[in-house]
Amino acid sequence: MEEHLYKEIYRYLGYRGMTPDEQTDALVAECLAQAREEMQPLSAVRRLDVRHTGEDRLLIGDMDIHSHGLARNMQGCEKAYLLAVTIGHGIDTLIRRAEVTSMMKAAVMQSVGAALVEELCDRVNEEIRIAAEKEGYHCKPRFSPGYGDLALDLQRDFERILNMRTNLGITLTDTLLMVPSKSVTAFVGLYRGAQECSSGGCSECNLYEDCTFRDEG
Amino acid sequence: MKQLTQRLGKEWLFCDGGSGTYLQEHGLAGGELPETWNLSRPDIIEKMNRSYYEAGADIVNTNTFGANVLKFGDKTDEIITAGVNIAKRARHAAGRDDDAYVALDIGPTGKLLEPMGDLSFDRAVEIFAQIVRAGAVAGADLVLIETMSDGYEAKAALLAAKENCTLPVIVTCVYDNNGRLLTGGTVETTVAMLEGLGADAVGVNCGVGPDMMVPIVERLVKCASVPVVVNPNAGLPQVADGKTVFNVGPEEFVHHMSVIARMGVQVCGGCCGTTPDHIRLLSDTVRELPFIPQTEKDICIVTSGSRGVVIGDRTVIIGERINPTGKKRFKQALRENDIPYILGEGLKQESQGAHILDVNVGLPEIDEPEMMERVVKALQEVTPLPLQIDTTDVKALERAMRIYNGKPMINSVNGKKEVIEQVMPLVAKYGGVLVSLALDEDGIPDNADDRIRIAKRIYEAAEHYGIPRRDIVIDGLCMTVSSDTSSALATLETVRRVRDELHGHSILGVSNISFGLPARELVNSTFLTMAMQNGLSCAIINPGNEPMMRAYYSTNALLNKDPQCMDFVGRYSEYVAFDKQGSTQTQAAGDKPQTGAAAGETATVADAVKRGFKAQAEELTRKALKTSPALEIIDRELIPALDEVGVGFEKGRVFLPQLLMSADAAKAAFEVIKTSMAGQEQQIKAKVILATVKGDIHDIGKNIVKVMMENYGYQVIDLGKDVPPEVIVDTAVKEDIKLVGLSALMTTTVVSMEETIKLLREKKPDCKVAVGGAVMTQEYADAIGADFYGKDAMATVRYADSLFC
Repeated sequence: MEEHLYKEIYRYLGYRGMTPDEQTDALVAECLAQAREEMQPLSAVRRLDVRHTGEDRLLIGDMDIHSHGLARNMQGCEKAYLLAVTIGHGIDTLIRRAEVTSMMKAAVMQSVGAALVEELCDRVNEEIRIAAEKEGYHCKPRFSPGYGDLALDLQRDFERILNMRTNLGITLTDTLLMVPSKSVTAFVGLYRGAQECSSGGCSECNLYEDCTFRDEG
Repeated sequence: MKQLTQRLGKEWLFCDGGSGTYLQEHGLAGGELPETWNLSRPDIIEKMNRSYYEAGADIVNTNTFGANVLKFGDKTDEIITAGVNIAKRARHAAGRDDDAYVALDIGPTGKLLEPMGDLSFDRAVEIFAQIVRAGAVAGADLVLIETMSDGYEAKAALLAAKENCTLPVIVTCVYDNNGRLLTGGTVETTVAMLEGLGADAVGVNCGVGPDMMVPIVERLVKCASVPVVVNPNAGLPQVADGKTVFNVGPEEFVHHMSVIARMGVQVCGGCCGTTPDHIRLLSDTVRELPFIPQTEKDICIVTSGSRGVVIGDRTVIIGERINPTGKKRFKQALRENDIPYILGEGLKQESQGAHILDVNVGLPEIDEPEMMERVVKALQEVTPLPLQIDTTDVKALERAMRIYNGKPMINSVNGKKEVIEQVMPLVAKYGGVLVSLALDEDGIPDNADDRIRIAKRIYEAAEHYGIPRRDIVIDGLCMTVSSDTSSALATLETVRRVRDELHGHSILGVSNISFGLPARELVNSTFLTMAMQNGLSCAIINPGNEPMMRAYYSTNALLNKDPQCMDFVGRYSEYVAFDKQGSTQTQAAGDKPQTGAAAGETATVADAVKRGFKAQAEELTRKALKTSPALEIIDRELIPALDEVGVGFEKGRVFLPQLLMSADAAKAAFEVIKTSMAGQEQQIKAKVILATVKGDIHDIGKNIVKVMMENYGYQVIDLGKDVPPEVIVDTAVKEDIKLVGLSALMTTTVVSMEETIKLLREKKPDCKVAVGGAVMTQEYADAIGADFYGKDAMATVRYADSLFC
């Protein structure tokens, strides 16, 4: 678990298959400890019905969504979870503070925050998977607003349906950024039948070719 | 009807309960905004209000929780007016015109305030002011600000209420199980701030059920001097059949509320999931319990958004370094708008052990109110330490107090009538702990008798303005012993008598005592010990001065103010005795060597930079400056080292962390050079602007570029994040800038980038634009008309060099 987390942190820092030096290792450990101290992980999920209403068009709950990417992702799904997670405001303050004294530390803190919120997201996703499998469903890889052609405007629906402000303390800026910055929203589609072979990893991503954070391991 | 203020805190009063469940049962749809029903279904809202009045609630909320201009635009006033009128009709129908009140209900805006979010404090005040004005005109009896999870937003709402009506104001917040607000404030810090701003009652609502609120209520009644209000949910929310439900029934709810009522609260009610039945049983039951009024607490506390520092128990250290007096480098930073330098001074003092930071940015040639506001905002973004606002400029003082997130310390007032008349009304309005100098129109008395006499007059004046006695801290005045050898005795006597005769708090700017003497730290540290023994509450010192800190920790241990001597042992367990020290100084705990220094020895500045050893880069630069001119160190050591690392990065041999480590080390070396040259003209390649565009609030990428650009000899005007196009363009025109760097993180904000470029082309056509950021690509950059796409920080530096070198 911890090993995976470190691997992710280094991936966000831009190490591609290189071994970091002791100094960086120590700094990562220090930042991780501080971030964990300050972190206030919260999550919310809600299950809704999915209807395929046309080409590249879906109705999830009361959301009428046009998106090629999500429609493809949700192929064969009859239900979908909305999930939102955050690790809280503390990490943003830690990044700000680090920026005053050391950009290196700021960059490490940034990567630590990203890795921690992803870890939390994985955990919540896993809970969803376990619950879904008891009912005979399998899960699709999660899919977030703003990814591919899926409109970022959906953030407002997540905010409303999951009551993100009250339940998680996540607010949106006018430009639909989430505050705290280390927060994630996503759809997880549920389907019945044989499990599809899908790693959900980097190779599935439409940004695979150009991405500097691509998992090479 | 009896005024609410005549009853609040003197007898039991009851608030109403939840509305969400009620309205859903009557057909409110999932995404529908309940406030619209004030216009479309007023009958149902009236019925709901009425059933609460009939159930025994004395204070019933209007259906205006989210009725603000962000959600309802120009319909806002109409919705609020209707909400108040409905509640008044309901009260009348319930036959309670004579003994019940209509509370204008105000909830959070739904936006997060700057700096974390994108709503400015001033705009938040405006939004709340509109609600208050509409509600007051419509005839509400009080304002009830509730469900606040950010103390800063609660401040904006309370300030708006106080500035726009004369009604009593109650403020209740949502605390988690640890008694913290979502944004970090504690029960104690929040109460201190709200009381300072004149809240008529404070409390807690929502979040959890009554049983889980007990520990929070315990803390509330312990720290509040005004009445305490408790409005819990009917338990924790659960989801059943896709709907949120609350499962604690009236009996169970009231069972727990009876416990809470006995703890010394004065107003009870409910929140989400509670019904008229809950409130009926609550008021019937609790009205029979003995009523315990709130008592005045003698607690002097200074707060930030997340931390409180209590004055009076043991001496508090106030860091004095954010002050330009006698500091060339600091003055230069003020003139150059170099906020990061000032923040660095703040964080350094925090790590050295300061409890509060004094903030003085007065310099004749700068706009002090503007600078004060910027520095206070920037500091409270990065440090949890409360601030002491130190200025003689009343405008600067008010700007800072207004936007301060907490209850600040104010430095200072004195016995002069004119100064009292300027400063005390501000403290009465915004709240704060007020440093009061024991001097007046006749100057500084040379004896304790006269200083105490002035102090008494200051207490009287404070009382006149409604500032609690506990919030006054008397400055006993440190005058140098070199000109009057009896002056230290007069100061010490004053400090002692403030404690013993006035039962008040004291403060000293300790180091003044040694002015004009050699070896000042010897005198200062001894004097600090003496003052602490005489009961000094606050010492304004430089926490980076180790002899002072030694005196501080030793004295605390000796005065029984350090249980088990834990702090002392923690700090000095590895202390090396003076006669064994040799030439090396013992490092204090708060001053650990930087990462890197221990990782290996390096011989030159260039090596230290290449390997990213910050502490060594500083030390070696300091040494090198003794033998070589600054320019030579820059040209022969720093630039070649940076270049080597930079080229390595471009070739893919060096990764971002190493590049940044080197950049940090180089920056530290440059800072040493800058300090040595402060006041002299410094060579720069060009002045450039960097900004994260409007709508974007994440700016780490821009900040990385900034460090690199500065290391390569550019003066960077950093306009920060969320910067409107006009500000960027105006600055470019005013400063005649030839290169602007813009950063955007999201596709949604690239639009602002494009706008900025368009406006720049129009108003400043000779200015080049470089763009970068997570979503940016060469194609994107071309499409929006940028001159250059910087794929990373090095690329941007190279582009700038191609223009200016």
